Order: sequence, then structure tokens, then C-alpha cells
Amino acid sequence: MSAPTLKIENLKLGFKLWSGMVEVLHGISLHIGKGERVALVGESGSGKSVTARIVLGMLQEISTARISGSLNFEGIDLDKLKPRDRHHLRGTRMSMIFQDPTSSLNPVYPIFTQFREVLARANPAIGEAEARMKAIAALADVSINEPERVLDSYAFQLSGGMNQRVMIAMALANNPSLLLADEPGTALDVTVQAQTLKLMSDLVEQHGTSVLFISHNLGVVREFADRVYVIYKGRIVEQATTKQLFSDPQHPYTRALLSAVPRITGGGIPDIAEDTAGFLDPLIAHPGASEKERLA
Amino acid sequence: MSAILELNGVSKEFAVNGRRTKAVDNVSFAVEKGECLAIVGESGSGKSTIANMILGIYGTTAGTIAFAGEPLPERREKRHRRAIQLVQQNPLSSLNPRRTVGASLRLALDVHEIGPKAERAARIGALLQEVGLEPDYARRSPAALSGGQRQRVAIARALACESELVVLDEPTSALDVLVQARVLRLLAELKAKRGLTYVFITHDLSVVRNIADRVAVFERGRLIEIGTTEALFSSPTQDYTRRLISAVPVVSDEEAAMRQHIMGDQA
Repeated sequence: MSAPTLKIENLKLGFKLWSGMVEVLHGISLHIGKGERVALVGESGSGKSVTARIVLGMLQEISTARISGSLNFEGIDLDKLKPRDRHHLRGTRMSMIFQDPTSSLNPVYPIFTQFREVLARANPAIGEAEARMKAIAALADVSINEPERVLDSYAFQLSGGMNQRVMIAMALANNPSLLLADEPGTALDVTVQAQTLKLMSDLVEQHGTSVLFISHNLGVVREFADRVYVIYKGRIVEQATTKQLFSDPQHPYTRALLSAVPRITGGGIPDIAEDTAGFLDPLIAHPGASEKERLA
Repeated sequence: MSAILELNGVSKEFAVNGRRTKAVDNVSFAVEKGECLAIVGESGSGKSTIANMILGIYGTTAGTIAFAGEPLPERREKRHRRAIQLVQQNPLSSLNPRRTVGASLRLALDVHEIGPKAERAARIGALLQEVGLEPDYARRSPAALSGGQRQRVAIARALACESELVVLDEPTSALDVLVQARVLRLLAELKAKRGLTYVFITHDLSVVRNIADRVAVFERGRLIEIGTTEALFSSPTQDYTRRLISAVPVVSDEEAAMRQHIMGDQA
């Protein structure tokens, strides 16, 4: 079997503050197979976004961050790469989509200028005409009706859903093998969120892109992901296929999370015990979903 | 049943780039005393504009709003401001960071002269306990609280002046799901205990399903459908409502089947 697109082993993260070390990740391991859509789900402060930032190599630039563990991308040890080579991976082989599309786009440049920058990361010699053609094709792929007009617009002239589609188009423009999506639908209206996720889902399937999907919304995860890791306070507490996790949650934390979601079928507001005992219980991997079995 | 709040032909126009845009278009509905009416819709549907008009932050361009049977003046009197209170989405920005929790609550009591002065400190402690916090939280600043605790303080402040109608503008959207469930339960308990009336503004239909008595659906400033929660979720009459319900991300097969059923009706 070929190497997984991403393999994280025993990743630890702490921040050194004047008052001492604050431990954020306590040794998490996860992997994403080729073309797999893997969700990392947890509450705010659980360590899900920092994980994506470490994969991209952004957190490493913060001088107070203490990171250990191994990161393997398509069989390459990322920590052994020269900064220049690692920089070159970003925007080409791996790319990221953030929560708030309107603030991820630069307000003082039209969309095309930014799109061309993205394309130039893979092909620095790309000309104006070619870039425009590629950008138009990419925008058409995300169901944008008037790509020409959108390219000449500024982010603030477009709706949130439109901006997020532009972000998706840019993120996939260089055909990355890994897409990091950090709460990509959270800032959007529900109907727009549903459309956006559907679109993203279709596109990554066509391109065979692997996705690390970060979310706090269990419903969205259920609809998008093939496999799920549940993270609580910097520890993975449960891992399973999406089907296994939602039909038979095992870890006390996952059970509490799932029972706290109000149901559209009714049943009242769930009564959540204050009791958090058991939330720090060791990792539960469902049959066939442990790191060892998946990577064998 | 008597209506505590009545909107009659209410419209609101804003001038945007020199053009007049109708944010709320000829809306009429009533809120019964003791009920929770949810106002749902997507961004731009006018739900927050309605909240602001109920609170008197915006005046209306046309139409009237009546509270407890009497029309509300453009410039609200103090008793109106006491009776109608607001809980906002983000307590970090709605609570003054320079004031302790106690001082924020005290201000509400002092402005509206609730109870004798000597008893106000004790009242603050009681309010905090009512929202599930220890009385000594009064000494803390909002920065020293978690998101859920801050929202509890914001709720306590809305109740401090013995309000009758509380406008809840996305009160749990910024909270994690476990915290959200607890805050929603608290809101339901307080409503029953104090006989409060809620106007609950949200985009989250699964929350609405479990807390509201009735639901009003807004699309582009217009009220397109209003009905009991039960009826609206089992047989919505408008396509827009169906689309909203079917777009809700769900966590169980049972819910997915219900969504399917709702969309199936359309075919």
C-alpha cells in the first residue's frame, strides 16, 4: 500500500508563557489515506485548528510554540525538509480553507490578482491570459455563473457563500493532494453551507484530494466525512468510520457531545450532566479504525 | 390568551448608497404572553432589524408596535426599556470589560431602581444563583469567565430589572454544543419560573424545534410563514421553509429521514 497522504504521529504542542508551559496537544496520532475525507471534531480549545496549522507549518514560526512528534506527508518527513521546500508545498501540494472567507481574501486586490498569485505558486511563469483562463475554469467548477465578473470584483462586493466558493476554487486550483478545511461552512447560512459542502465534496472526489476537515458541528461532519477523529483537550478520544461513530458512539465524551445536539425531530432540550468524569478516558478505536489496523 | 407584543404593518427602510432598501416589509404578528416565538431566516432576512425595532433601537418607517396593549412611542419611556430586554450573541462584546459582573448587574438595578438600595447587593447574589453561578462571581471581570458563564451573566442582567419580554438574539450560537444545551435549559427554566415571554432570533432550526412554541419564518424582510413549532416542522407550507429545514445538518438517521420526508412532499 502506498504511503498515506498525511500521517501524524504522537504530535505534541505546548506554548511557553511567562507563567510556564501550557500543554495544548498531548500526543495525537492520525492519518489520512489518499482521497480520504477525514474529520477532526471537537469543541473550541480542543486543539483542532492548531493541528492544521502545524501541518501547514504556520505554527512553527511562533517562537513560543514547542512542537514534537512526526509529520509525514506523502512519505516525506516534513521536519527534514528545508524551510524553502516546505514553503513550496503550501498552496501547491497542500492548501487550506478558513472559516471566514471574507477575511481570508485581501480586500484591496480584486479576486483575479489573488487568484493569479495562487496559480503562480505552481507555475511562476504563468502569463496573464493563461492565468485568467485557468481561473475562469476553476470558478466555473465551483458553480459560479459569471466567473469574469467575479474575477474583477473585490471580496466585499461578493456574498459570503460566493467568497467561500472562490476560496475553494483557489485552494483546489493547483490540484493539491491535501486540503485542510477549517470550519469551512460555519460562517455561512445553513442553505449556503449545505450547497458549499456538497460542492466541495463533489470536487474533492473528482480530484481525488485528501481532506482534513475540521469542525465543531457533528451534523456537518456526518454529512461530509468518511472517517472521524474526536478530539478533547488535546487528546484523540475516539476514532471510527463516520457510520460507526454516529450509530454506536463509545467514548463518554463523544456520547455527551452527541446527546447535547438538539434534534430536528424534537424531544426537548437535552439534559447534560455537569459530570465530565470519563471525558479523559483513554482512546477508543472502533474495530478496523485504529491507526495500527488502517496503516497495516 | 393576551398578546404582550403586537406588530402591525411594520416596515423599515434604510438608505444604502442613496437607494432605499426595505429591510422589513409590512410585517404583522403578535407574541402571546408566556410564549417563546422563534424568528428564523437567513442573513439579510430582517430578523435582527425586527429585534432592534422591538427594542426601540430603530424606529419604524411605517406601522406600529404595541406592548401590553398600548402603542410604544418612537422614543421609549423608562418603563418600556425595563420591560423589554435583550440578550445578544456575543457576551464578550455585550458586557463591559471594565466592569465586574456585580457592577454590570448593579447598574441595571440602579438605573431602574429595583428594590431598596440596601438590598441590591443581596439581589445581585440571588440573580447569579438563579442563572447557576456562585454569588462570589460578582467580583469577577467578564474576562475571567468562560463563554457559557458570560452568557449566563448577560441573561442575569436582562432579568435584573424584572423584564417581561426578552429578545434573545442568537444567544447560543457562539457556544460549544455542551454549553449550548445547558444555557438553553436555563432559558427554558427561567421562562417557566418567571413567566417570561421570549422572542428568540436564530438561524438554528434544530434549536428552534426544541425551545419555541411558535415559529415565524422570514425571507428578505417579509414574514412568509408563521405557525406552531409542531405544525411548521411537520408540514411546512412554503418552499423556503422546506429548504431551510432540509439544509440543517443532522446527526441521526431518524432526522435524515424526516428531512427527506419534508423534501419529498414537494415533489
